[in-house]
Amino acid sequence: MSTAVASTLNSVLSGKPLRAIAALVLVVNGLFPALWILLTSFKTEAELTQKPITWLPHAATLRNYIQAFSDQPLLTFLFNSFMVALLSTALTLLVSVLAAYALARLNLRFRGLIMSVIIAISTFPLVTLLVPLFETMRALNLLNSWTALILPYTVLSLPVCTLVLTSFFEGIPRDLENAAMIDGCTRFGALFRVVVPLSAPGVFTAGILAFVNAWDEFLLALSFNSNPGLRTLPVGIQLYQGEFAFPWPVISAALVVGIVPIAILIVIFQERVVSGLTAGGIKG
Amino acid sequence: MTTTSTVKNGAGGATARRAFLSRWFDPDDTTLAVLLFLPAAILLGVMIVYPVSRLIYTSFLDLSLTSGLPARFAGLANFRQMPDDPVFWQATWNTVLITLITVPGSLVVGFALALLANLPFQMKWPVRLSLLIPWALPLSFAGLIFGWFFHSEYGVVNDVLNRIGLPTVIWFNSPRLAFAAICLAIIWKASSFMAMIILAGLQTIPRSLYEAADVDGAGRVRQFFEITLPLLKPTIVVALIFRTITALQTFDIPYMMTGGGPGTETATLAMYIHQNTVSFLDLGYGSALAVVMFGLSMLVTALYLRMIRSSGAAS
Repeated sequence: MSTAVASTLNSVLSGKPLRAIAALVLVVNGLFPALWILLTSFKTEAELTQKPITWLPHAATLRNYIQAFSDQPLLTFLFNSFMVALLSTALTLLVSVLAAYALARLNLRFRGLIMSVIIAISTFPLVTLLVPLFETMRALNLLNSWTALILPYTVLSLPVCTLVLTSFFEGIPRDLENAAMIDGCTRFGALFRVVVPLSAPGVFTAGILAFVNAWDEFLLALSFNSNPGLRTLPVGIQLYQGEFAFPWPVISAALVVGIVPIAILIVIFQERVVSGLTAGGIKG
Repeated sequence: MTTTSTVKNGAGGATARRAFLSRWFDPDDTTLAVLLFLPAAILLGVMIVYPVSRLIYTSFLDLSLTSGLPARFAGLANFRQMPDDPVFWQATWNTVLITLITVPGSLVVGFALALLANLPFQMKWPVRLSLLIPWALPLSFAGLIFGWFFHSEYGVVNDVLNRIGLPTVIWFNSPRLAFAAICLAIIWKASSFMAMIILAGLQTIPRSLYEAADVDGAGRVRQFFEITLPLLKPTIVVALIFRTITALQTFDIPYMMTGGGPGTETATLAMYIHQNTVSFLDLGYGSALAVVMFGLSMLVTALYLRMIRSSGAAS
């Protein structure tokens, strides 16, 4: 009985139609929610409340997009998200390049311990820091500023970026650095003129991971920046929701506007994101 | 490494400056290590070490901003309050349940997706994109989108149910159904990350192993259980522990989908901490809850580190 089942399964699994079905399953699973939001963003409120619900919009309209930008300062949310993500990515890269260089090149006595600490930090539950970080930010007079988010986001991405960069730096031959130092570079000079440029793919990978982390973060952004002009996109999206009304087409339009930049980033850098995710995921 | 002091003869001012620099700034490895780790250490100190010690201190205080009373040392009072707090038990139970359901759930779905994605497709990018988009979609967006998928009147889930002749389900009025919807959303979101890691693992398995198995007459199913699964075990273990740690922190998806409702039936520990501190402004109790969660998370992390150590990945 079980051999019969196994042989049937084997013949099905080696067939060619399977590949088409597999592709369909993958794409529908991965992209349906985003696609559904895209379709909804073109529907009118009236069409949305029809029963049975329609899948494709009858009369596609761009009104929701106009409303998404005029009902709430969507452009400001986008700008805040973008700047916070970009600046924290830059800071993360700078700090993790230095740490990763030490881990990859110096014969440290406590290397194993440092690695363990880095991995432990990567598992840190951010919500437990909500109160003390809030107090820290208030003490530093940083509440309601980009910095209140940039600093914690940097720490959030530091472990995975350091791990990715360490493995990249280890792959760069030491001879190249030595040659640069013989030509008069200092060690820092050799790091930034030789090692970092040669590890550009790794730096990109780490950068994208840091950017996505910061772009996605919700809890701290919700709690630290209550000033409307400083809200990031995930927090701002909530504001479209009225007390009783839930204007889905407009919210969908705003969501599409939020998804598009990160989708573009991923399409361009997909190979690097995959390698970074797996390197970071498996190690830390 | 003292090669930095080598200077070419007859070079200009720049080289002389560099020579000066390297004579005065030619740190040994220990000094250099301290310098290189300094920025990271400062950040971690200000953003983690200080806040954690502050958190532990606050958990012993009677500090509620709504009472208007000054902070007062309360000993273990905040911790003693927990066993008698039904919402604490509910939130903890929900968190554990979410972990127990979504971690294996996302592993199984992720494994299936990875096996499908590992088929020899001619175009690789649509497959890759379909795994990357769910990963990169902000959790809060995913919560919002799935909240709407399960909308009782206009949700696509009920539409599909109706089309195949099943009755409309009011998902968010029932604690069990709301919880199920949340778990489905989390599994969807997390499985693509799992799939990506497992896919990378699959691609490191040498093809020759499968070819040898073919020669020996082993079918695909046997190959899966005797080659694929054993070789992927270390990857899966690490991915599972990593997922467990994130599952314990679940906040965004239930916050966006149900807000913890109906009542507090779908609240997680992270949401309860947030509610106590941000809505009730009871910083003492909120901090004590956070300490409990911190301990729970560190326990899993310790396990994680042991596994990585024993597999030699951290060395």
